[in-house]
Amino acid sequence: MRTANRLATLLLAAALLAGGALLAVEALLAAAGRRALLVDTAAWSAALGRTRWDDPIVRAAAVAALLLGLGILAAELRRWSPARLDAGGGWHLHRRSVERRLAAAAGSVPGVGRARVRVRRRGAGWRPRVVATGDPAASAEVAFAVRQELHRLAAPCTGRVEVRLLPRRRAP
Amino acid sequence: MTNAAHRLLWTVVALLLVALGGTVLAVNLGRLPGGAGVLLDAGLRRPFRLAAPWGALALAVVGVLAALAGLWLLRAELGAARGRGYGTLAHPGRRGRTRLAAGALVRALERDLTGDPRIRRAHVVLTGTPPRPDLWIRVEVAAGTRTAGLREHVDSAVRRYADTMGCRPARLDVTAHVDSGPSR
Repeated sequence: MRTANRLATLLLAAALLAGGALLAVEALLAAAGRRALLVDTAAWSAALGRTRWDDPIVRAAAVAALLLGLGILAAELRRWSPARLDAGGGWHLHRRSVERRLAAAAGSVPGVGRARVRVRRRGAGWRPRVVATGDPAASAEVAFAVRQELHRLAAPCTGRVEVRLLPRRRAP
Repeated sequence: MTNAAHRLLWTVVALLLVALGGTVLAVNLGRLPGGAGVLLDAGLRRPFRLAAPWGALALAVVGVLAALAGLWLLRAELGAARGRGYGTLAHPGRRGRTRLAAGALVRALERDLTGDPRIRRAHVVLTGTPPRPDLWIRVEVAAGTRTAGLREHVDSAVRRYADTMGCRPARLDVTAHVDSGPSR
């Protein structure tokens, strides 16, 4: 979401800059009685003069703006995952990098592949959740490998390591 | 721009979109008056024509303000992406404020930190006031390293730095990026 916000802000800035400059130039040309450069103002004015407030196109545009606004609002107001995890004493670990490292540890267990890890904060500790493919009987080994890696990272005391192993699909 | 500033900006944009879309939809559905008219009716055009050329000049001013807002936003955004600066120390005096770019001061600490092979890269930012500055450290840790031992290395490097500089950090904030890879 942080990257999406930055990209969207860049787009908004470019649109404001280009649109504002175009509006200023066209308005100055109109004030001086000159012909417009890029925008056919007469055609726009005629189109807006023909379109009624109760037209379906106006309704579609309003619904699109409403849905877009509600979507952005929901995305911005929901609780975001923290970018870094507090390890105590002013020391933090970058969450994504920890997740990648724990995924590598889970994937190092024989017979386990495609491991993905999400780490959530639970009180003062962390709660890792592992999803991977492999024999469900290897869950304890995966949890042990993840716990060992957390110990190497000097992570604050963790609760249960949640492991979900999905059986591999057999080739037909 | 900070993450909080981005979040605030897009919350405001979203609220504006919801307000605009909701109002136009209410007019369209006949819940608000004016649904039978056209978007740009004679009542709107006439004052604009009567005020010529001031109406067009007012529009030009709106355009310039929008372009300036876009330029400011673009500079803030690109500056944040590019500006991995080293921070600035500021000290208020009787005749104003002394500001000191901290680049030269933090490079020694960065070199000390990367003296340990477990740290691939280090970036230090120094802010605040000189006797009690804030120290922000970001280290990239090599794959498979135990961060427990690393904390002691960072702490002793910071202690050495503070002793040399004759200051005591008011705040020490360390973020470690750990590489994924085989454990050693």
